[in-house]
Amino acid sequence: MVGIVIPAYNEEKKVAQVVRSVIAIARPDFVVVVNDASDDNTAEVAVAAGAQVITHEINRGQGAALETGHEYARRLGADFVVDFDADGQFEPADIRPAIDFLQKSTTDILIGTRFGVGGNKIPFFKKYFLLPLARLFNRIFLGVKMSDAHNGFRVYTKRALNEIFIRQDRMAHASEIPVLAHKAGLKLCEYPVRVYYHEYGQRLSGAVKIVGDLLMGKFIK
Amino acid sequence: MLLIFQILFFGFFLTAEWSVYRRMREGRLRRSDGLFWAIFWLFALFVVLYPSVTSIWAGYLGIGRGADMIVYVALSMVFFLLFRQGIAIESLRRSLTKKVRDEAFGRGKIERLKD
Repeated sequence: MVGIVIPAYNEEKKVAQVVRSVIAIARPDFVVVVNDASDDNTAEVAVAAGAQVITHEINRGQGAALETGHEYARRLGADFVVDFDADGQFEPADIRPAIDFLQKSTTDILIGTRFGVGGNKIPFFKKYFLLPLARLFNRIFLGVKMSDAHNGFRVYTKRALNEIFIRQDRMAHASEIPVLAHKAGLKLCEYPVRVYYHEYGQRLSGAVKIVGDLLMGKFIK
Repeated sequence: MLLIFQILFFGFFLTAEWSVYRRMREGRLRRSDGLFWAIFWLFALFVVLYPSVTSIWAGYLGIGRGADMIVYVALSMVFFLLFRQGIAIESLRRSLTKKVRDEAFGRGKIERLKD
């Protein structure tokens, strides 16, 4: 069983197209959109497009929404779960090849990388300043060596899904997941995926906040 | 002879100690925390009544003036308390997330298209 988890906050303009194309191209067993207390019609639009929708009554952040989606997938007994963004920045055609790659690689979790695939127009400041800095931080402080520091495209095997419980509610989950995987003795692989930039994404202020969240997380049981 | 500031601070000290006692009695402050704040305000009163002792302590620590030592200690305490508050807030956020998630599943409101 393959499930797609899509965290969404105020994405009524894009989520329907994402859900429809994911269903049409990747043919999963279920698509669950976690509506993170959107102010707009994200939930209604996603349901109409064919997704199952779980709604957070209070906005808790992308990490929290993903964990809710993962919990749903655990309850259904999914064999593979894919994290996928609601804003259409990922390519649904990458999902099935990524799952095949994960199966053949005998690893437990696959994380997308912007590098190694042509056509990804990464903003200059991000490519040459933010991402190298984030990679260095991940390597020194978290002990994680990856070509891409923050990529929201991930595929989990059932084993990985049952070992990784996201605790970082906001954006720091992207750094937390590889660390949790490493701690649980899971094997991790990278897979090149296409990324379409609609907005800039993480800015320097966001990166500082992520570092703060990760540090604070060290002191909480 | 007491300075006006010392008289005013004595009044503040009494209010602070009363507040600590009241919160402990009502169970809003743990015994250990209450003891800490009671001793802290007593210490502050001592420093206000006998400011010259801070210069002696500052000398032991290698800090020039007693007033400088007070500023350093006060700043360190403020940062420590901010840090503790930060952790408390983050813990509350996580508890809230758990509640929101439980509620999202619990009310069985997973929406989907009718078959």
